[in-house]
This record gives sequence, structure tokens and C-alpha cells, in this order.
Amino acid sequence: MSMFVARMVLGSLLLTGILTSSGCGYNDLQGLDEDTKAAWSEVINQYQRRADLIPNLVNTVKGYAAHERETLESVVQARARATNVQITPELLKDEAAFRKFQEAQQGLSGALGRLLALAEQYPNLKADQGFRDLQSQLEGTENRITVARKRYIEKVAEFNKMVRYFPTNLTAKFLLHLDEKANFTVADEKAVAKPPEVKF
Amino acid sequence: MQLCGRGGKAVLAGWVWLALMPGLPAWALDVPSLSGPVVDVAHVLPPATVEQLSQELRAHEAKTSNQVAVLIVPSLGGEPLFDFSHRVATTWKLGRKGTDNGVLLLVALKDRKIRLEVGYGLEGVLTDARSAQIIRNEIVPRFRTGEFAAGVTAGVRAVLSTIEGTDHVPERPSPSPSGSDRLGQVLSAVIVGVVIGLVFSRTHRMLGPVVGGGVSFIAAPWLLPALIAGGVSLLLVSLLGGWGLSAGPRRGHRTSGFDETWFSTHRGGWGSGDLSGSFGGGDSFSGSGGDFGGGGASGDW
Repeated sequence: MSMFVARMVLGSLLLTGILTSSGCGYNDLQGLDEDTKAAWSEVINQYQRRADLIPNLVNTVKGYAAHERETLESVVQARARATNVQITPELLKDEAAFRKFQEAQQGLSGALGRLLALAEQYPNLKADQGFRDLQSQLEGTENRITVARKRYIEKVAEFNKMVRYFPTNLTAKFLLHLDEKANFTVADEKAVAKPPEVKF
Repeated sequence: MQLCGRGGKAVLAGWVWLALMPGLPAWALDVPSLSGPVVDVAHVLPPATVEQLSQELRAHEAKTSNQVAVLIVPSLGGEPLFDFSHRVATTWKLGRKGTDNGVLLLVALKDRKIRLEVGYGLEGVLTDARSAQIIRNEIVPRFRTGEFAAGVTAGVRAVLSTIEGTDHVPERPSPSPSGSDRLGQVLSAVIVGVVIGLVFSRTHRMLGPVVGGGVSFIAAPWLLPALIAGGVSLLLVSLLGGWGLSAGPRRGHRTSGFDETWFSTHRGGWGSGDLSGSFGGGDSFSGSGGDFGGGGASGDW
């Protein structure tokens, strides 16, 4: 009888493992890993969208304020720096690279803010239809970045919690080799909380 | 030295306060309830306008499934315009889940601010630039002369005509509905546990429920679903075992057939979790699960 029981136990455990595979968070971890990657892609997407708006913006401003070379140049350079940072999923596992990415984007935010503040002084520029459209697109993109970042932060927090809680941390460490992912810190949030002011 | 001590205490107090501050400022306004397509908390629109606009918005929804709503508040309560607008739109969940075809027109009277919050699915037609144009050309000029009813009406009509041809908006892949997945996993765990438990009930009366509960506990997600699954299985196996339903070679074919088909049809089938609310006829009104990504435009007058 004991042989029978032993075989049954083994068989049922195997059956369980194969059929559900959700014990100790295996599926949860995989799911959250994918969710954080998707959330991160969305963040990258929106930052890229912002970078894409800039050449147009620079050209429009040049049409009215070509002599403001310094400000225009700094925006172009900041954009180049931001788009040069390699964006891969590995970025999430590398804290240093993540910080570099954030700094580059913040640099761009700063340069953009200065450019838009400058535009305030040129009434013709402000009245230009193309410029107004670009302004609204920029504002929209900044809002989208805010939402994407917020959702990424929430997803990563969920994922990191699962990686750290017992017993799912065992699954994470030994079975899946998943580690905590990088997250935007509070200090960065404060800096980003003030997007370039877009005033009419 | 004394100065340093006092300054230090103040800084510490400041940090403690900051650390304790919740994500949302304590004074943030509650999201008003979605009583109809036009929610005028500030009572600035005449009832006739509210009625007229509500009708037009309900008709538009019936025709295209796009959900457009208007919210007029007396003030933002100190919260930034975008934060409040996005909060309201995502709480109300305007637009259909997955299609995300919702639009919110928000007016804050005291702050003199207007915002059009556009759902993911409509960003392609009601672009940021177009939203800004509507606000700038239709709403602001009328608001500046105090014609709020006319301004809101003109704005709403411009929005509707912009999104009119969009009863077939591109699907945006929606995030996995974790609630329904959880339910599916718990149920799968319970079923596996019960089946296995019933097998063991043949060998010993007590063994069945314990094994069944244990198997479900391991199979379900940690921790609460696991406890629930384990408990339910334990109960079910003891009840079913008691009624003489314990499985075994004699009834083998029924059991194995049972759990195979049960599994294949129900494994992934709990997933869609579709919230099927709608503006609807009569007085009922609710969002259908749409999401907002931050698109739209703001303005002031």
C-alpha cells in the first residue's frame, strides 16, 4: 500500500506541476516581468515621441528667432545626447545605465523649457499656427510621459515586491534568475514633476 | 551649535512629513459620480442645455460606442489640471475596454481652465493639436464673453464631429486582466485538488481532503488565493468523499475524462472580464472600462 501511496503522491504532484504551474509565483513572476517590459516600452515610446517633435520645433523657432543660436544649439545637442543612450531591456537591470538615461532625458527637458520660455518673447512666433500645434503636441507628450512613468513605476513596484517576498523570491532567484528592476527614484520624480511650462 | 540643532530638527520634521505624505495630496477632490454624460457640479449650465447635450452625447454613443462626457467643477482644489483630469477620466473609465474610445471635457471655473482628455483609441483623430484648436477656437472665445452654455455646446459639437467617423477605432492591446486570471488559477487549483483528493479518499477517509487541500494550496498563487483554494478543496473533498463519490479504477474513465475536458475549456477562458456598462437609455450611465494615456490638450480663458 505504501508503494501505491508513494506513486500516487509523486504522480499527483507531477500532474499538479504540469497542469497549473502557478505554485510559488512562477507564472506570476513571468507575467509581471512581461508587464514591466511592456510598461517600459511605453515610457521609451513617449520619450522618443518627444525627441521626434524637436527638429520641427527648432526649425519653426529658427524662422522667427534665428539669432538665438545658443538656446537652439543646446536643444539640438541635448536631443542628440538623449537619443544616443542605448535603450534595451537590459537597461532595467543596470542601475548606472538607467541613471544615465534619466539624466539625458532631464537635460533635454531643461533645454526644451528654456527654448519655450524664449518663445514667449516673440509674439509673432507665439501666434504662428505651426508653433501652436507643436506646443500642444509637446504638452501632450509630456503628459503621456508622466502617465507612462507612473504606470511603469507601479508595475515595477509589483514585480520587485514579488521578487523580494518569500517564497516567490526563491522561485525568482533559483528558477528564473530574475532580479529587481531599476525604478525612477523620488528625487527624479521631483525634477520631472515640473515639465517645461507651455504657456500661450 | 544651538542653531544647527534647531535647524536640524526642522529639516528632520520636514522630511518625516514628506515621507508620510500619501501619493495624492490630502486635500485632493473626490471624483464626482458619473450621473450622466453631462456632470455640472458648478451648476453653471441651464437645465435645457444639460438635457440637450446629454441627448446628443447618448445618441453619439449609441451610434459609435464612443463615450464623451462633460464635467464642470467650481475649482480644481489646488490639484494640477492634468492630474485631476486624468484621475477623473480613468476613474470614470469612459470608452470601451480595449478600444479606449472616451473623451472628457473638463471645465474648472475658478481656475479658468479647460481640458480635453482623450482616450488612447481616439488620439489618432482627436489629436493634441486638434484638441487645442477646439479649445482655442470654439470654447475660449465664448467663455471670455461669459457664454458658458454656448461655449460648452460648441466644444462638444466640435469634438463629436471630429470623432464622428470613428465607430471602428484600432484596437489597442489591453493589459492582462489580473483579477480574472486569479479566479481562473484558483478554480484550476481547486479542481485539480478535488480530483486528486477524491483519488486518495479511496485509500483513507482523512487522507483525501488533506491531500486535496494541500495540492490546491500549492497549485494556486501565493498567498490568499492559495489559502482559499486549499480550504475550498478540503471542504469539497470531505463532502464528496462522504457521499461516496471517491474516485478509483472502477470509475476511472469518468474522472480522467472529466478533468481533461474541464481543463481544456476553462483554463484560459476566464480572461476577458468585460465591463459592459454604457450610457444607456433612460437614466443609467456608466463608463465601459476605457483607458486614457495623457493625450488631449489644455487651455484657459
